[in-house]
Amino acid sequence: MAPTPTPQSHAPQCGRRTPPRPAGPSTEAAMPASLDGELPTRRRNGMRGAGGWSQEPEVPLRAGFPANSPRRNCPEATPPGGSRGCWATGTGVAGGLCAARREHSLAPTSRPGNLASRPPPSLPPLLASQSRCPWHYAHLPRSHDALAPTCFKAKLHRRRGSATPGVAPTWTDRTSPAMGTYTYTYTSRPRPPPCQRRRYRDSLLQPAEEPIRYGNIMYDRRVIRGNTYALQMAPLSGQPDPLEIQRQHQAKRRALARKRAQEQLRPHTPEPVEGRQHVDVQTELYLEEIADRTIEVDMECQTDAFLDRPPTPLFIPAKTGKDVATQILEGELFDFDLEVKPMLEVLVGKTIEQSLLEVMEEEELANLQASQYAYEELRNVELAEVQRLEEQERRHQEEKERRKQQQWEVVHKHNETAQKIAAQVFAQRYLADLLPSVFDSLRDGGYFYDPVQRDIEIGFLPWLMNEVDKTMEYSMVGRAVLDMLIREVVDKRLMMYEHKEDERLSFRPGDRLSGPGAVRDPLVGPEIQGQSTSQSQGPPPDRESLPPLDGRYLEKLSSQERRLLEEEEDEQREMRKSSGKEEPSQ
Amino acid sequence: MGVLCDFAAHIRQWEIDQKPGRGLRRAMPLPDSMFCAQQIHIPPELPDILKQFTKAAIRTQPADVLQWSAGYFSALARGDPLPVKDRIEMPVATQKTDTGLTQGLLKVLHKQCGHKQYVDLADLEQKWKNLCLPVEKFRALLQLDPCGKNMEWMKFLALGCSMLGGSLNSAMKNLCEILTTDPEGGPARIPFETFSYVYRYLSGLDSEIPAADTESYLASLKENISTRKSGLIALSDFFVLKRKF
Repeated sequence: MAPTPTPQSHAPQCGRRTPPRPAGPSTEAAMPASLDGELPTRRRNGMRGAGGWSQEPEVPLRAGFPANSPRRNCPEATPPGGSRGCWATGTGVAGGLCAARREHSLAPTSRPGNLASRPPPSLPPLLASQSRCPWHYAHLPRSHDALAPTCFKAKLHRRRGSATPGVAPTWTDRTSPAMGTYTYTYTSRPRPPPCQRRRYRDSLLQPAEEPIRYGNIMYDRRVIRGNTYALQMAPLSGQPDPLEIQRQHQAKRRALARKRAQEQLRPHTPEPVEGRQHVDVQTELYLEEIADRTIEVDMECQTDAFLDRPPTPLFIPAKTGKDVATQILEGELFDFDLEVKPMLEVLVGKTIEQSLLEVMEEEELANLQASQYAYEELRNVELAEVQRLEEQERRHQEEKERRKQQQWEVVHKHNETAQKIAAQVFAQRYLADLLPSVFDSLRDGGYFYDPVQRDIEIGFLPWLMNEVDKTMEYSMVGRAVLDMLIREVVDKRLMMYEHKEDERLSFRPGDRLSGPGAVRDPLVGPEIQGQSTSQSQGPPPDRESLPPLDGRYLEKLSSQERRLLEEEEDEQREMRKSSGKEEPSQ
Repeated sequence: MGVLCDFAAHIRQWEIDQKPGRGLRRAMPLPDSMFCAQQIHIPPELPDILKQFTKAAIRTQPADVLQWSAGYFSALARGDPLPVKDRIEMPVATQKTDTGLTQGLLKVLHKQCGHKQYVDLADLEQKWKNLCLPVEKFRALLQLDPCGKNMEWMKFLALGCSMLGGSLNSAMKNLCEILTTDPEGGPARIPFETFSYVYRYLSGLDSEIPAADTESYLASLKENISTRKSGLIALSDFFVLKRKF
């Protein structure tokens, strides 16, 4: 039986894989006989030898495992070719325990030389029902304690003697260096936890060394629960009280002994007679494989992740009922006129109704429109009329306004004219004697003057007066000079007389009085004269020069001088008068 | 209802007889034997046709429905304008001249024939009959201005209008209302040339009115409307004017 890959197995695998040993089959062939009773066939595929083990499942396992198989930290060991057995569970473990036994048992029967030759490093791959737990610590035979793998399912990578059935971890060359290098791989299939119930009785020949109960890992005392970092436990293997250990051992041994005793008490089949051998035989029609192992078949199912849910298949109910046939003749079923009647009713009735409604609606709308238009027309006409009237009215108004304006202007003008006339007349009247009065006043004002006369007055007479003044001055000057002369002479004469008089001893004091009196009057006179000169405008300015000389000259002036002055004053007054007259008359 | 059944059957038969590609194109041949009412197939265009027909009939109110229907459908089949009044015309209880001719009918005739200048009298007679108008009146109309096989449509219309109302003015008014493109109720305006042509024609037929009067009247009207750019004369122009006179 060629090994065929079993895709379902997930045996962990460490290390290299080597193709299964071709010697497998031979062992397999040899094995079944002995291993019947003990090794349950747990095959996923049905490839089995009759009642025996078939190594294929395990072998192909090996072959078929890609890298995705989980790696267990298993010491590498190459199980013998054609390893088989319980991969997942610790069948190997038990196998380990039983390994020795098995091996022993097997060795004489089935194992070919290889196994026997070498120390059975590998656990018997044929796993009893007992050993399922891969993690079960088991005493590996001999020197494999150190290597005690947690998993006993290991594949044989190395080509070995195919004697090793079942799963077995492949051991490193430590175990059998003579064999060469092999890697330890561990593959195990997921196995259900072994059931407690055993199909068959345990053979007395192979009592379990200790009751190995498998079960739920959760309830396994050996599994550490809780945090592991704070646990200061005594290591499982040693340390605790040796006393305790001893006591436990004793207890175990006692229990085992008790059990054995009980078993022994149980009635058993009598031993075979000499020369005979008891063999288990099935007598039924169909042979039944006897194995303690429950037939387990692993089925897997997986949906394709990306497939849509297929459509529900059409439910076609089963046909029920009776089939009955009938036949319809022409004209039986259908009468056109009858059938068409309701249709027609609806058709025609609805049509008429609808069209009536529509026509009415349209008519209404059209009427509305028409009336609207008519109204609009009317309105337009009216509007036109109104506009016309408005226009007319406006024009009338304008006309009226204009006329009024005109009229008003006329009246205004009329008024103005009347006013103007009145004003003119009044003005005329008012100003009638304006002119004469004006002329009179002007004439009075001297505006109308005879230019010759004016000229004479303005030009000639002043000049004349000047000349007269001059002349008079000259004469006066002459007189003054004459007077001075006279005075001097008189003075001299006086002095001479006075000398003489003095000599006569002052005969007449009265002259002195006249002298000062004469002096005084001339003093007064010039004052008056000064006043008069200041008053008169016309008098020649030479007069004014006279007063500064008063002091001297006027003292010398006599009454003659005074008289002359007075005359002059009179003349001046007259002149002033005349000039004054002239002046206001100018 | 019996008539209608027959009518429906007729339609059905017609449907069957229809050559494909004409009329009801999608008419499938009826099954020879029908078994249920659902098999009766109503052509999808039928309801619409019926409705239009019914509406036209209601609007036109023909005296003889069948006659008119024949005219209607033949016109429909030919693609001609349909002898349908646009508005329902309440039948006038008393008419001066009991021709049965109304302005609406004239409008229908105008709709049917107005696009050509000359109308074939036979055709016109047929149309006249389709409107359920008495043929004698038709003849009488033609008597007013006898002519050959063809007649100018405008003249016929004018004659028809004169038959409607007694006076020339009312005839002109009717004519305006018939010929105008303005919406109903609005100022019924027509081109002045048309107006003057018809007026001349009618007054020419009427021997009482001297031509000079006609011309002067027309000239005065023309003056009135000369301000308007459109050159259209409206009803108000002459109708109102006449009232003032």
